[in-house]
Amino acid sequence: MKNWQIEKLTACVAALFASTAAAAGTQVQLSSDVFVEKQIRQPDGSTSLVLEQPKLVTPGDNLVFIVKFKNAGAAPAENFIVTNPVPNAVAFNGTSDGTETVSIDNGENWGLLSALRVKDTEGNLRPAQMADVTHIRWSLNQSLPVGSEGKVIFRGVVR
Amino acid sequence: MLAGASCATPAFAGGTPAGTDIQNIATATYETLGGPIEIDSNLVVIRVDELLDVTVSSSNPGDVATTPSGNNVQTFQVTNSGNGNEAFALVANVAVGGDDFDPSLQSLVLDSNNNGVYDAGVDTIYVAGSNDPVLAPDTSITVFIITSTPASAVNNNRAEVSLLASAVTGTGAPGSSFPGAGDGNSNAVVGNTGADAQASSFLAVQAALLALVKSAAVADPFGGTRPVPGSVITYTLVASVSGSGTLTNITISDPIPAETTYSAQSITLEGVGQSDAVDTDQGSFNGSAIRVAVGSLASGESRTVTFRVTIQ
Repeated sequence: MKNWQIEKLTACVAALFASTAAAAGTQVQLSSDVFVEKQIRQPDGSTSLVLEQPKLVTPGDNLVFIVKFKNAGAAPAENFIVTNPVPNAVAFNGTSDGTETVSIDNGENWGLLSALRVKDTEGNLRPAQMADVTHIRWSLNQSLPVGSEGKVIFRGVVR
Repeated sequence: MLAGASCATPAFAGGTPAGTDIQNIATATYETLGGPIEIDSNLVVIRVDELLDVTVSSSNPGDVATTPSGNNVQTFQVTNSGNGNEAFALVANVAVGGDDFDPSLQSLVLDSNNNGVYDAGVDTIYVAGSNDPVLAPDTSITVFIITSTPASAVNNNRAEVSLLASAVTGTGAPGSSFPGAGDGNSNAVVGNTGADAQASSFLAVQAALLALVKSAAVADPFGGTRPVPGSVITYTLVASVSGSGTLTNITISDPIPAETTYSAQSITLEGVGQSDAVDTDQGSFNGSAIRVAVGSLASGESRTVTFRVTIQ
């Protein structure tokens, strides 16, 4: 019994160390990348879609946002949630997996897009559209184990 | 711009202004045994480049009527449909092929007081390269092409006049780019219009022609038609307008022939008697000639004047 207690204490100390490291920002790594989708005309006349670094970006261009995460720490990250505000100049155009919830009021209320309503200038409610989305959120609903990594992807159109 | 209030970005036709930074940053939250943690991703900044696009349209609802030797004003609208502040070079072409005549270009004028109407001496004459109009995204300027029609033009001749506007930064195939030439140090990219556009408007000559036909009917004192002393000659003058348009201030006058005497108060206009005095009616006699002020006649209209003389 006594041995068990010591072991438990050691574990707590380890956890304490781990959380301290996480507080310094080293446990989970989060990175953001943006690419622009360009239609490239092939010599045979067909077009193909290519993801490029955004060297030239003009209104109407399709952007692909990729958020990568990795648990580089020593303890699992519980209840892992990624949130990405949609830049003002970008109209949200869907995610690759559809598992997100969205907000159309700067993160105050969240839900599936189909469940959200927008009040127009006359006070009438209409179904929210993708262009109304201000924030996107992915809840993994599980812990992010040590060493595991993943990514979420959403698309947007430059307004 | 960072994310702000929902729907805060106005839906410009030209899109997000050139030079705007799109900044993206993601946030993650999770829990450890030590409590909740929040971390930010790196910040990605993308500058919106300048799209070079322009449209030109004619504001004239149809052909602009002109006359031989007449001066003309044709009105066009140049719109910056790109997303940056852009200067546009303007070129008027009066020598478009396939039409009936070429008017001569007097000037290209910017509607500087922005009232949509050509104000000679008030609106600014355009000088290429010196006052190329700079338009904000989604704004327009009215441009007037002032021309004159050659004297040799005849009724129903038409002339095409076109206005070309080109982005000063550059034109070319859609997608061509000019590094660093856009607003806010963005790049400039040629849009779907090729960064130049033109529109045409037609001049149509509406020349009205006046014809005057004179005839005489003689009534001799014996009930016949012989021109003998004492015979009364009734002259009939028919003024008619053909072609297109309207002639104004038409006056018919006819001297009384020698060896005849004017019959007092004999002038009629459309069968209505006219007094000889210069007064409110349209006819008068000055002692040697009759005069009838017919006024305006549109194409297809005619007026008939009669008067009588007696052979001495």
